[in-house]
Amino acid sequence: MTVEAHTKTEKFIVPIGPQHPALKEPGHFEFSVEGEIVTGASIRLGFVHRGIEKGTEVRNWTQNIYILERVCGICSHVHATAYVLGVEQLAGVTAPPRAQAIRTIVGELERIHSHMLWLGVAAHEGGFDTLFMYSWRDRETVMDMLEAISGNRVHYSVNLLGGVKYDIDQKLTDQFLKGLEFLEERLTHYMKVVTTDETFVGRTKDIGKMPKDEAYMLGSIGPTGRASGVERDIRVDSPYAAYGEFPIKMVTDQAGDLQARFIVRIKELYESIREIREILGHMPESELTVKVPRRIPAGEAFSRVEAPRGELVYFLKSNGTDTPERIKIRTPSLCNWSSIINYAVGHKLADMPMLLAGIDPCFSCNDRSVTITKGGVHQTNWTWEQLRQYGIEYYR
Amino acid sequence: MNNLPPIISLLIFPGGLFLMAMGLAFEWADRKLVAQFQNRIGPRWFQPLADTVKLLAKEEIMPAGVNSTLFIMLPVVAVAAALTASLNVPLFGLTPVYSFTGDLVVALYLMSLMTLCMGLAGANSNDRFSIMGATRTLTQLFSYEAPFLLALLGPAIAAGTWNISEINTYAGNNLWMVVTQPIGAIIAIIGLMGKLELPPFDAPEAETEIVSGAMTEYSGRGLALFHIGKDVELVVGLTLVTAFYFGGLANPLFFIVKTLGLLVLTAGLQSLFARLRIDQTVGMWWRIGALMAMLQLLILVIFKGFGL
Repeated sequence: MTVEAHTKTEKFIVPIGPQHPALKEPGHFEFSVEGEIVTGASIRLGFVHRGIEKGTEVRNWTQNIYILERVCGICSHVHATAYVLGVEQLAGVTAPPRAQAIRTIVGELERIHSHMLWLGVAAHEGGFDTLFMYSWRDRETVMDMLEAISGNRVHYSVNLLGGVKYDIDQKLTDQFLKGLEFLEERLTHYMKVVTTDETFVGRTKDIGKMPKDEAYMLGSIGPTGRASGVERDIRVDSPYAAYGEFPIKMVTDQAGDLQARFIVRIKELYESIREIREILGHMPESELTVKVPRRIPAGEAFSRVEAPRGELVYFLKSNGTDTPERIKIRTPSLCNWSSIINYAVGHKLADMPMLLAGIDPCFSCNDRSVTITKGGVHQTNWTWEQLRQYGIEYYR
Repeated sequence: MNNLPPIISLLIFPGGLFLMAMGLAFEWADRKLVAQFQNRIGPRWFQPLADTVKLLAKEEIMPAGVNSTLFIMLPVVAVAAALTASLNVPLFGLTPVYSFTGDLVVALYLMSLMTLCMGLAGANSNDRFSIMGATRTLTQLFSYEAPFLLALLGPAIAAGTWNISEINTYAGNNLWMVVTQPIGAIIAIIGLMGKLELPPFDAPEAETEIVSGAMTEYSGRGLALFHIGKDVELVVGLTLVTAFYFGGLANPLFFIVKTLGLLVLTAGLQSLFARLRIDQTVGMWWRIGALMAMLQLLILVIFKGFGL
C-alpha cells in the first residue's frame, strides 16, 4: 500500500525505514526535503502482513479469540472484545452484566497502559528521554494491575465467548484503587509537563495543525480526530459492554495540533480512571458466563469498539459451522495515515518523527492485505500454486 | 609541569594517554548521571573503555564514492586537535604544559576544529543522513561559536590577559567569576553543551530523525577516534569553563571537585529538556545568547573603563 502527497519532482529524499531508529515496527516513509523543510511525503506499508484474517478461517470460533488477540500486542483486549461481541450478536446471546463490567474495566486499564506507552514513545521521538523513562516506569503500575487480574502482562485473554474468565474480588479492587490513585497523581504531573515545559511545547504547539473539516474529510478517528474536534467515540455513540450503564464522557480539543493530541490522550486517561472507579464502586452481581453454542448460526455481524487508537471494526460472517466463513478487521491506524501525509508537507524534518508518532501508529495491526504489482504482475485472485510459484521466482 | 620531559607530558601525563583515560571516565560519569536522573541504572564503569576497545578492533567499512584520504584522516585530525587544545589548559589543576600569550584563542580554535572535522566527515560520507547531519553540525557550530567565544572573553577582559594560565591564576585570587559575571557563566555552560552536542542540542545526531548524523557511515577505528576526541573535548571544555568561572584550578583536588560539580549540572540540564530543532537552536543562540553575551561584555567594559 502506498499513500503519496508530492508537490515537486526534483528532490533530495530522506528515507525513514523499513529499518530506522525512529521506527519500532517496519514501515517505509520517504520525505523529500529542501534543506530542513519537507516538500513531499510517501508511506509504504505492508512489511508485516501476517495473514491473520485467512488464519481465522481454518480455526474454530473459540480458537479465534486467541489468534485475534495477537493482531495487536498493545491493544489485545479490545480486539478480543470486538470479536466476542460480534460472535455473541450472531449467536443471539448477551454476556452477563458482571462480565460486561469486567470487560470494560480491562478495556480501560488497557487504554491507560496504551496511552502511557504512547506518551513515552512520542516523547522519545522528540528527544525527551526523561519523560520517556518516567512514563514507562509509571506504566508498570497498570501492567501489574493487568497481571494481577489475568496473570499476563500483554495478552490478558480475559474474554470468552459469552463472558469472561476472571472475576474481580475485594482484594483486587483495593489494589486497583490504590494503583489508580498513584496513576492519577502521575498523570496530573505529565499533563503539567506537556502543557508548560518550554522546550516540549516548542516542539508540539502548532505542529501538524489539522482543522476540524479537514479531519472529517481525511476520516481521522480516535484521539487524533478528537484532538481536531471530531466528536466520534464509539463508547459514547453506540455504547457496548458496560458503557451504556456507566457512560463515559467524550474528550475533545479544538486545537488540532500535536499538543492537543497529547492533551486529549491524557484527559482521556483521567476519564478512564473515573470510569474504572465508578464500575468498581457499583459492580453488578451475576454469573460470569452464559452458554454459547459451538456452531454459530449463519449470518453476518458488524461489531465496533473504541480501541485506544480509535474505532476498531470487525465484520464477521458465519455459515452455520464451527468455523467462521470470513472475518474482516479494520484497525484504527489505517484511517489516520492520510493525516500525516497531508500535514507533513511544509514542516521541518525534525518534526517528522513526532508527527508520525502523534497518531499512535500500529504498523503490524493495519497490514491487512498485500497487492502484488511488481514486475508487471497485477492480479487480485491467486491460487495457492500460483502464489508458491511467484514466491520461488521472486527469491531466485 | 616544566620538570617532566616534553615527550612524557605530551604522550602520557597529563596529555595523551592519561587524558584519554580521563575522557572515558568523564563520559562514564556523564552517562551514569543522566541515567540516574532518568531513573535508569546506567552503564558500568568500564563501558566507555569497552566500547572503544571493541570499535578499535572492528573492521572499518568505507562507503563507495568517498574520498578515502579524508575519510581516514578526519578522525585523526579531530583527536589531534582536541589533544593539542589540552596542552594549553590547566589540566588536573596543574600548570599548562605549553603556555604563551594568546593561547586562549588557539585553544578555542582547536576545539572548533573537532566540530569542523565532524562536519567534513559527514559531508564526505556520501550518505543522506550524514549530509543532513553535517549540515546541522555546521549550522550549530555557527550558532553557538560566537556567544561561547564572547562568554570566555569576559574573564579574559577582567583579568586583562589572553593567557589561559594567567586568567586561571587571576580567577583563583579573586571572587568567583560566576558571581561577578553570571550571564557569561550561563552562556559558557550552555555553549559547552552545544559544542559537545549534548541534549537538548543533539539535533545534529538526532537518532529518531537522521540515525547518527554525520557519524552514520563511520564504524570501527574512525568512530572510536571521534568518540575519544569528543571525550577529550569534554574534559578540556569542562576544565576551561571551571578555570574561568568557578574560581580557577589550583590543584588536582579542586579540579576533580569542580569539574565533576559542573558535570552534574550539565547532566541535569541534559535530562530536563526535549531536543531543540536546529532552527530553534540557531534562533535561541542568536536572539538570546549572542545578545546576552554582548550585554555582559558591555557591562564589563563599562566597569573596566571606570576602573571599578
